[in-house]
Amino acid sequence: MSQIYKREMVFIVTGVVALVMMLDYFFGKNIPGISGAGNISSTLQTWALIIQLMAIGLGAINLIQVHYRQISRKTNMAVYSAWFMGFFALLLLLGFYKLATGVELYPYTWIFKNVYVSLGTTLYAITGFYIFSAAYRAFRARNIDAAILLIGGIFVLLANAPIGEVIWGGFPLIGNWFNNVGQVPGMRTFTVVGALGLLAFGFRALIGKERGFYSEVQ
Amino acid sequence: MGVWIILDTKFVALLLLIAAFALFYGYMTLAKGGMKIKARAFPAVAAISEAIGRAAEMGKPVYYSTGMGQGTLNNQLNGPQTLAGISILGYTTRLCAKSGVKITYFTPIADSLPLVEETMRTSYMAEGKPEEFNPAVAINFQNEQSPFLTASLGWIQREKPAASILLGGFYYESVVLGEAGNTIGAMQIGGTANTHQLPFLVATCDYTLIMEELYAASAEISGNPDVLGSLRGEDILKFFVLILLGLGFILALVNNNSLISLLKV
Repeated sequence: MSQIYKREMVFIVTGVVALVMMLDYFFGKNIPGISGAGNISSTLQTWALIIQLMAIGLGAINLIQVHYRQISRKTNMAVYSAWFMGFFALLLLLGFYKLATGVELYPYTWIFKNVYVSLGTTLYAITGFYIFSAAYRAFRARNIDAAILLIGGIFVLLANAPIGEVIWGGFPLIGNWFNNVGQVPGMRTFTVVGALGLLAFGFRALIGKERGFYSEVQ
Repeated sequence: MGVWIILDTKFVALLLLIAAFALFYGYMTLAKGGMKIKARAFPAVAAISEAIGRAAEMGKPVYYSTGMGQGTLNNQLNGPQTLAGISILGYTTRLCAKSGVKITYFTPIADSLPLVEETMRTSYMAEGKPEEFNPAVAINFQNEQSPFLTASLGWIQREKPAASILLGGFYYESVVLGEAGNTIGAMQIGGTANTHQLPFLVATCDYTLIMEELYAASAEISGNPDVLGSLRGEDILKFFVLILLGLGFILALVNNNSLISLLKV
């Protein structure tokens, strides 16, 4: 019974919110009480933001549960989980201190700038190597399609690499043509069919027919 | 009436939206009434059960992610993709529960976590194994891309999953996760509606759901004729868009921009 109640509630809330947002978008200020500061549309958007922030709190609890389990079961990951818990507690305390006093302590900024940002940037830079190995796989000329892709790829590569223009002046012209003209129709087709798929998906979700994420078994 | 209806291009967009919804609804009703809808089977969807079977034979887990998706469900481009990914996660989890395969879901989208937990719990319950569901199989990384990616890479290297399923709104993590899966020889199924990441998933995955296929996959999985009817409506809409494109092309040749002005929002 509670499952049915929960499902119906999701449908009703989704439907009402979607209707309000559509009315706001299409009719704007012409319907009193729909849009503008303090009206129903902006209130719903504020609620969405609050729910989103609450979910971050929920996410923190999930992280603690996951890592506590690793530590209590003494798995081979327990040492990393303990490391995580230590840093989590430290940053939480520093954050609360900032909230209470308005003073941002040096370790708080230092950890963010020198640990978090550095590691994030390093990881992003590593992507270059992954793209290289993925490109190697994609550009193997196993059939005629892959061979055409390889030829196109070589032109685009040499158009972007300074040495391409030194070898032959035509590389930037042809490479840029692939970039600016050749690939555009294909990508736009993807965008159009993607939008149509989204429209159908949205409609199914709106009328409660798209049930996979409503915790219903498919 | 004319007072509160904005007589601009938004009104045209509204009319088109209503027409599209009417088309979807019409075909869904016809399909429910017995109209035969032949839906093309997606190889990527069929490959999910193959991947789970492989994982069961090898005794290895399955990695599942819906990608970064701008770190929130509250995003018009990526939110629906994440939801589509969660829909397919329900089906995948059910297959895993049936075969006794462990599945771990990684996400940086904290607000998707309650949906994911419920979806996975329901799938285990449907297979009569609610006790096997462990909330720790859904791991979130608080809207942060790098920690999500680092943890995923570490997990993939340690656990060596037999299959890696990447369905949702992906950003640069698509190529990293795809290549990490390739390195350990995992069977990979990918899908996104983000055009900028599509080439990476095509290059790294064994099967790919391209653009609208990601949204249509859950309709195919459900097998409901009325849900499949919406796909027929979508196909009809594609023909309409093709006609509009052709018309716009001809009008542009004679320097007439009236259609562009009418449809511009």
